[in-house]
Amino acid sequence: MNGRIDRHPILGPLPPRKQIRFQFDDRTYLGYEGETIAAALLANGVRALRRHEASGTPRGIYCNIGHCFECRVTVDGKDNIRACLTPIRDGMVVRSGRKLPAPFVVGGDSL
Amino acid sequence: MRNMDSPSMIICRCEEITLQEIVETASRFRCSAREVKLRTRAGMGFCGGRTCRMLVDAIVRQTAGEPAEPLPDAFSLTYRPPVRPVSFSELGGETPDERQN
Repeated sequence: MNGRIDRHPILGPLPPRKQIRFQFDDRTYLGYEGETIAAALLANGVRALRRHEASGTPRGIYCNIGHCFECRVTVDGKDNIRACLTPIRDGMVVRSGRKLPAPFVVGGDSL
Repeated sequence: MRNMDSPSMIICRCEEITLQEIVETASRFRCSAREVKLRTRAGMGFCGGRTCRMLVDAIVRQTAGEPAEPLPDAFSLTYRPPVRPVSFSELGGETPDERQN
């Protein structure tokens, strides 16, 4: 799937760019050099970047300018990296955030 | 598409606090935005209230109206610098090369 604007009516066609391979939650995706993690995943049809820690509801791009931290993911083992600001690199390993256990909350998930 | 006035609309996405929870807390306790924040956790999440602080302030103002006596803590939600989040590694002198991300 390619969700990119390849041919813009005013800006013209996209210039050729280097294709990059990166991983998101154990799946390999293709993106282009210069794209952010959020943009490359959106172009691949991935909209849920993480799950809310307490409720497990999905989260994706919200502000897309690095302000809201809704798109934070784990990049190469480093937590809380904003997918909307971070360009992809070849071989980058990205992990989404997941619902966390809440063993001390009534009805919460155990460890 | 849900109505923008829908009570289930999430105002604070970090802590997942709905419009209804904020309105109910503000009308039940007739309290300041600061007290609503402390009671519901709206604006206390990861983004530090940068996204919803103005909304929480406005909703509380609309719901509670002008109190006859100014509330003792009736200032808007407090916020402190830095405006942009800074990691400890950046404060510790990590260079962009080391940071990579």
